[in-house]
Amino acid sequence: MRLCGIETEYGIQVDGVDDMDVVVESMELIRCYSHEDFIAKWDYGRENPRLDMRGFEVDELRNDKDETLHLQKDRDRKIPLAELKSDLLISNGARLYNDHTHPEYSTPECYSLFDLLEQDRAGERILHNCARRRTETRGKGVVRLYKNNTDFEGHSYGCHENFLIGRQLPFQRVIEGLLPFLVTRQIFAGAGKVGIEQGGRADGGVFQVSQRADFFETIASVDTMHRRPLVNTRDEPHADPEQYRRLHLIVGDANMSEYITALKVGSTALFLDLLEADQLPPLQIEDPVRALKAVSRDPAQRWEVTLTSGRRATAIEIQAAYLEKARALASGRDRETDWVLAAWGDTLDKLASNREELIGVCDWVTKKWLLDSFAASEGLDWDDPSDRSWLQSQDLEYHNVDPDAGLFLLLEAQGDTQRLVDDEAVTRAVVQPPTETRASFRGRVLQKFGEAVRSLNWDSVELESNGRMVVVDLKGCVDPQTLSSYTHILDRSSTVEELLAGLPTASVG
Amino acid sequence: MAATLRDRAPRSVRPLEGDGDGVDDDGPRRPKVDRPNTDDLLKRMRRVDPNQARRYRQRTGE
Repeated sequence: MRLCGIETEYGIQVDGVDDMDVVVESMELIRCYSHEDFIAKWDYGRENPRLDMRGFEVDELRNDKDETLHLQKDRDRKIPLAELKSDLLISNGARLYNDHTHPEYSTPECYSLFDLLEQDRAGERILHNCARRRTETRGKGVVRLYKNNTDFEGHSYGCHENFLIGRQLPFQRVIEGLLPFLVTRQIFAGAGKVGIEQGGRADGGVFQVSQRADFFETIASVDTMHRRPLVNTRDEPHADPEQYRRLHLIVGDANMSEYITALKVGSTALFLDLLEADQLPPLQIEDPVRALKAVSRDPAQRWEVTLTSGRRATAIEIQAAYLEKARALASGRDRETDWVLAAWGDTLDKLASNREELIGVCDWVTKKWLLDSFAASEGLDWDDPSDRSWLQSQDLEYHNVDPDAGLFLLLEAQGDTQRLVDDEAVTRAVVQPPTETRASFRGRVLQKFGEAVRSLNWDSVELESNGRMVVVDLKGCVDPQTLSSYTHILDRSSTVEELLAGLPTASVG
Repeated sequence: MAATLRDRAPRSVRPLEGDGDGVDDDGPRRPKVDRPNTDDLLKRMRRVDPNQARRYRQRTGE
């Protein structure tokens, strides 16, 4: 598969504490990762989220009214930004930090889908351990973390997928190609939600297939927090900008199901293969933003959309068209690809014919089944606001990452979910980076020359050598051959100076 | 270099022995699905505070 990663913002709550400050609580939670003195080493100087793929830079990113007020209050805090963010690059190569007001775990870069799953599950475990420690240290209340995307009150937070793609493709073609795929992907990738959020409290007895669909308002933009776009145009490749783009997809839900995480990322990687090979089926959807919401909210779950040709088509038919092309392009390429193709076809078949077979497999189907079972057992009415509030509480608890409390994880413990990685592999991934990407190089530099490392980013390691700062440039290290040569130089270097002599570097300061 | 690939073929959820979907041919048959046991789950769900989601307040993220 192509180089990819997942970044997940978690929701945070402290049971029994009404006046919790989410900013401070997220910061303190991240600082629970290590009992040692906290050292922030992330290099912000190499990031610019205002650069747009379409060739310009915006002055600032936009926020909604609510968040603008919060930010004014944040400016009065006496906590330095570096401490507030508590930004860490941890031993498995992941980034762990307080992203604004949410604990965020960004997996290291992965080539293998199953490496990615192990790293994603490791993130759940790492953050749950942080929550346990924070519960012990704060003295009052139980810290809960939720791998979801909404507070049911109009505030959403993301689970972003990142894919390395070629720079040669005009980005307008990327946007146009992605729209029908992303609008329809939610029928298997959605995590499910009780109610519709339109500027406030989630209302209506509707069960949506997607948590995030309510929050998208435009086709393409560099923003991620206000007027969210179906296609984010942020231009931060974290690789050679002459050769690559990083596609930063923000429209997806956070998934509890390993199977769906693998299918979501795997099918999207195959979609990108089709796009780069100019093999996409000729499909365009009328008003994609409206269609995204309509598919998510469709009470009949027929998921029909209007194509620009005027023809009506279902989301299943559209996904099947991508699958057919992907089979023709990539079937037999490798076992991982064949797994994705088989799972994609199997899931579409079951969505079309018998969705109950996706209980324990597909998040939204599993959640809906749990809620219906609970509603039947307690005599709850989906249209009654009070009953619906309890169902929303169950919706939230589906995403609780505490294995003793979260509904999905309880189902998993019963053996009633589709596992793809085992717990031993997840335990290893808590501390070990994937071996096939530059994440392992960063980790090994930290192990071997950690005292000289001054800061890191995805594509750089800054080291101190003889009183000067030198940056090792990892932008070119995005393929296995280059990684192998970098690793060879690291292995044979007994000093920082030997390492720097063998790698592309630049002096700073 | 290709990624290390592991043998993780998709498997059906709780396929049962039996006569599939009743179609009388030699083709692939749809597995029947055993619904998971809900006893413990429903006990846990009854303990969830009905106002849990109402008290859950987050700030906008990305």
